[in-house]
Amino acid sequence: MFPQFGATADTLSKASTIMFRIGTDAHLYDDPEDVNIAPLLDSKFDSEKCEALKRLLALIAQGFDVSNFFPQVVKNVASHSLEVKKLVYLYLLHYAQKRPNEALLSINSFQKDLGDTNPLVRAWALRTMAGIRLHAIAPLVLVAVGKCARDPSVYVRKCAATALPKLHDLRLEELSSTIEEIVGTLLTDNSPAVVGAAAAAFSSVCPNNYSLIGKNYKRLCTILPDVEEWGQIVLIGILLRYAIARHGLVRESMMFHLHSKEHSSSENDDSDVHSTVGKVGIDPSKKYDSELASMISRCYIEGPDEYLSRSSYSNRVSLAFSGAKFTSCKNNEDVKILLQCTSPLFWSNNSAVVLAAAGVHWIMAPRENIQRIVKPLLFLLRSSRSSNYVVLCNIQVFAKAMPYLFASHFENFFILSADSYQTKALKLEILCTISTDSSIASILKEFQDYIRDPDRKFAADAVAAIGLCALQLPKMASTCLEGLLALTRQDFFTSDVRTSEEEAGVLVQAIMSIKMIIKQDPPSHEKVIVQLVRNLDSIKVPAARAIIIWMVGEYSKVGEIIPKMLITVLKYIAWSFASESSETKLQTLNTVAKVLSNSRGENLETLQKIARYVLELAECDMNYVVRGRGCFFRKLLSCHLGSKKLEDEVITSPENEGLLNVLAEHMFHEQAIQQSPVPINYRVYLPGSLSQIVLHAAPGYEPLPKPCTILHDADTEADVSEQDGSGSFTRSLDEESGSYNGSDHSVTSGGNTESGETGSSSEDENIQDPLIQISDESHLLPAASADLEELMSKRDLETWLDDQPSLPNSTIHKESKVPRSARISIKDIEKRVRPKTYELLDSANGNGMKVDYTFSSDVSNISPHVVTIQATFKNCSIETISNIVLKHEDSTAKPSDCSESL
Amino acid sequence: QTKLLLFPLSSSCSASFHSSGETQIVSEQAIQREETMLQCIFLLSDSGEVMLEKQLTGNRVDRSICVWFWDQLLSHGDSFKQQPVIASPTHYLFQVVREGITFLACTQVEMPPLMAIEFLCRVADVLSDYLEGLNEDVIKDNFIIVYELLDEMMDNGHPLTTEPNILREMIAPPNIVSKMLSVVTGNSSNVSETLPGATSSCVPWRTTDIKYANNEVYVDLVEEMDAIINRDGILVKCEVFGEVQVNSHITGVPDLALSFVNPSVLDDVRFHPCVRYRPWESYQILSFVPPDGQFKLMSYRVRKLKSIPLYVKPQITSDGGSSRISVMVGIRNDPGKAIDSISVQFQLPSCVSSTDLTANHGVVNVLSNKTCIWSIDRIPKDRAPLLSGTLLLENGLDRLHVFPTFQVGFRVQGVALSGLQIDKLELKVIPNRLYKGFRALTRGGQYEVRS
Repeated sequence: MFPQFGATADTLSKASTIMFRIGTDAHLYDDPEDVNIAPLLDSKFDSEKCEALKRLLALIAQGFDVSNFFPQVVKNVASHSLEVKKLVYLYLLHYAQKRPNEALLSINSFQKDLGDTNPLVRAWALRTMAGIRLHAIAPLVLVAVGKCARDPSVYVRKCAATALPKLHDLRLEELSSTIEEIVGTLLTDNSPAVVGAAAAAFSSVCPNNYSLIGKNYKRLCTILPDVEEWGQIVLIGILLRYAIARHGLVRESMMFHLHSKEHSSSENDDSDVHSTVGKVGIDPSKKYDSELASMISRCYIEGPDEYLSRSSYSNRVSLAFSGAKFTSCKNNEDVKILLQCTSPLFWSNNSAVVLAAAGVHWIMAPRENIQRIVKPLLFLLRSSRSSNYVVLCNIQVFAKAMPYLFASHFENFFILSADSYQTKALKLEILCTISTDSSIASILKEFQDYIRDPDRKFAADAVAAIGLCALQLPKMASTCLEGLLALTRQDFFTSDVRTSEEEAGVLVQAIMSIKMIIKQDPPSHEKVIVQLVRNLDSIKVPAARAIIIWMVGEYSKVGEIIPKMLITVLKYIAWSFASESSETKLQTLNTVAKVLSNSRGENLETLQKIARYVLELAECDMNYVVRGRGCFFRKLLSCHLGSKKLEDEVITSPENEGLLNVLAEHMFHEQAIQQSPVPINYRVYLPGSLSQIVLHAAPGYEPLPKPCTILHDADTEADVSEQDGSGSFTRSLDEESGSYNGSDHSVTSGGNTESGETGSSSEDENIQDPLIQISDESHLLPAASADLEELMSKRDLETWLDDQPSLPNSTIHKESKVPRSARISIKDIEKRVRPKTYELLDSANGNGMKVDYTFSSDVSNISPHVVTIQATFKNCSIETISNIVLKHEDSTAKPSDCSESL
Repeated sequence: QTKLLLFPLSSSCSASFHSSGETQIVSEQAIQREETMLQCIFLLSDSGEVMLEKQLTGNRVDRSICVWFWDQLLSHGDSFKQQPVIASPTHYLFQVVREGITFLACTQVEMPPLMAIEFLCRVADVLSDYLEGLNEDVIKDNFIIVYELLDEMMDNGHPLTTEPNILREMIAPPNIVSKMLSVVTGNSSNVSETLPGATSSCVPWRTTDIKYANNEVYVDLVEEMDAIINRDGILVKCEVFGEVQVNSHITGVPDLALSFVNPSVLDDVRFHPCVRYRPWESYQILSFVPPDGQFKLMSYRVRKLKSIPLYVKPQITSDGGSSRISVMVGIRNDPGKAIDSISVQFQLPSCVSSTDLTANHGVVNVLSNKTCIWSIDRIPKDRAPLLSGTLLLENGLDRLHVFPTFQVGFRVQGVALSGLQIDKLELKVIPNRLYKGFRALTRGGQYEVRS
């Protein structure tokens, strides 16, 4: 019976493992095909059938295709042995869609089983019958589901509820109304278990059919704590959406931002509440970032893609929710009961339930009560390592909008050595966000510990975090600077020539952080610059040297000491020019040029000498970029370089010279780059959603419904048709067929295509709001790292400005960073490039109606593989045009039309 | 490759990174996209082999996704392994790793990620409970049971039955009797013939007709202490995460009430579904109808503790290419009961080339991945345990500039270090013979000492 026993039992241990495996299905998994399976299936003994089926399942588990046994397996569906049945079902479900015709053979047996007295048999039959998903039997299944929905057994009713989405997946229009009806019945079921399953069915079958919820809203709320945990997650989401669609947002909640902005007095009233809550006397301006909150709430309602694509920043702010209506949780019973019934769920054992409940309170609860979500969320951090990361991603958004919530709980975000890198990075960011005057001391102490962490990438992040904290709390700037300076003086950076790349990353980050802090207030940090420059000789990492040399040029006029030592420093860098790496060379050139063009009067001669020396060296450099920059500067600075005529015989006409002067002036002189507050551009999705973790709208992601949309029936209708997407305006076409369709619509004459103007916006705007944004992505949570991103783009901008003359893309700081993944996000291209418009119908041919269409760059909310077409109807005649019918030619199944009168 | 991952799938340029053939498949799927949540679950062994696949919907997920996943894992290493949510070019993946087994679930649509992760964790819990541990062999040996469990736990991508007590009644766990029986008769069935009564009762976690000759109920407080001691030796964080574990064997449908002497120490709590919220809200009493057998009644958290049972004092000095390390361990605040299973574990920095570590008590092991484990067990009366030795640094390094973190493990039986105390356990209807037992245990959790 066990041939392998004799062969392998050399050692006792092996024998014992075999003994252990006796009686399990091990031999079936190891060697499923060692006997002929087919005859076993036809055996009259259940045990042999079982064995054959197990072998087949083993083959399925291992990835083999055993669908050729389908006919023989189907025969066994009528077996009386429950085990055989179960195994047959498992097999059937796996292959039914591949062999639909043979699968039909099993239907009779299912029908019979549905009448069985054993509820388990009925439930299994129903599950399998619905699970094989054949169009042909859909009506039969629907009847069965309807019957089972009234079954005395809770388990069977539950299975009926889960069978509904399977039917819905077949997309049979004629059945949908019946399906929704059954969902409605199951939602009113007495058993909480059934209600949970019905909620899941509701959310996948008819998530916008709010009337079904409206009828039972109160009952659903009160039953919520008793529903089984998985159902709770779905039901919470449904109730939240309903409450918003029905009553709108809550006036006292985080979502109601506009009001708080306009009436700052009400904000002040709240402030004492906050300060008691936040314990420590937090700067009132900091505790509630209303702009951020407003962005978040918009994102929740509109979806970030739509929100961010809206043309301009000012537009975003001024555009209030057009139809937004507000309610108050004090006198709205529905909102009150929802908050009441979700609050015990904070005690749930299931982390997803806790997060879902926290989401409801985040959106609906009055601001002073949001504090309730904090402890449960922090408790979740301990549940499992995988969920840890997801919870942190959500906490990050909460903490960004309302730092005071988590401010006193900062030690929960202290980093453990077992945390994954992503988790560590998230925790660092959250720590930066929530740091306050009272907690900063402990947080900085922690950061100092992290710098010694063996994970150097993380250590570099910790250094960056110190810089961010200093920016956030200017009081701490000098303390942070001191620490950072001390770090750069560590002998392991300076003494050791072959510092590893990661080590260098930490150093570069430290110097970048210093630069960032200095930038806030250069004159008061003059000494720091001096010290850095003094250390220049001992710092060997090219990127770090480059930044310091850049600072010399940038702050050459700041304070009193720097101008005095400037010549010496320049001499030093000129002397070491030849041995530098090319990025340092480039910065040296920049610095020399900057100082030269700024200098007047004394020392001019020495400066010119240095500049000529450096330029000469540069022009003989191996690297063509350095050579190019050298040549360029020579031309540009020809007038500054002094009396000597240039070797090349280019006669610079006076006005040309003037032009060059102006150019140089612009390039090198201190310019107050007026940065308008950078619009907060990160994507926020509903708390607890998948999209929030992957930071793009996952297919099927739906923002919250528009507030108060089910008050007005007409509005609802329009909304639904719009959201359904199968409506008229968004066409479900994949790329190829999309273009075919385009030609169907007879856009043959190329003359019709009119190219939109590009790049109409001014240069300035381009700079402030770059079209293509390259951002640091080491945190895998890019968009949310607002401060970092903002700084990043500022820095990029500087470097870009510096390097502009020769090559805009050699962003030195970019190169100097530790290798990290980068994210390139193209945002809001519509603003600059208007999509091409194609003419669909000429006004001459269309009785005065002109129809244009464009392929919009908007992302469809249905699927990423669907192209959105925007059609513009314009009435060029005087008369009213009515009954415009838009018809889809390809999918004859769904001729959707939309009529409107203009 | 990571960039590809980070690219928003939904952006209009998403199609550009599929090859044309692939795009066709994907877009077909997208058009008849299913609303179901999880589409498929894969179980991968620690060598990347797909041991099992369970398709949950009609829209089958090809195994090639696992190949993609494993390739990514090999190329990105640990940081990928610890990423719970992954966006692949075709699917979103959720992964939970338990004892070398990777549980991988796929979806194409928006769903709460915690739901998927929590579900995978439940699957892992149930499986390791059924199979008494998790490893490649037991899963392969019991693949039928795994299939049946997965089928019962999830229907059409939505969790169906996850309550372990009910699952146990529907699908019998493998035990020695059934194994022997199957050897003798060649026949075994682990599928229950009847539906467990609990599925229809109003207490879905308990079968109604349970009879015991001896009624017993045991309540255990099991706590884990988390602490961080920073490089200056200051305690920056100390808290306890505890569980109230109950093992009940009581006839009929008992109604229990458990109260604490000092519920005010609890900072936050989470309950098993059987606990009624109302009595807790008003009187901090746990009132519940227990499931039969072992279960976790409640978990709790006690923050801002001030005393830790053990001190660990690491000292590292270095000069001239080598470092001297010494770690001292001793009792700081005597909990009143013996502390045992003490161990200190740390990761040697990667720049350490060789070590020579000795301890005056206990056993020191240095694993191949430079993890050093010092097992002390109990602290002897006469001397303080001391680990000392030298770390030889790599060539060119003069001194150590990164320092390891020491993870401390310990166990104290008979004491809940949070100070939480059970007051009494009451039954509404007292059965004729009832034995009640209370125990407590504290373990070291994330107890870290930085050096």
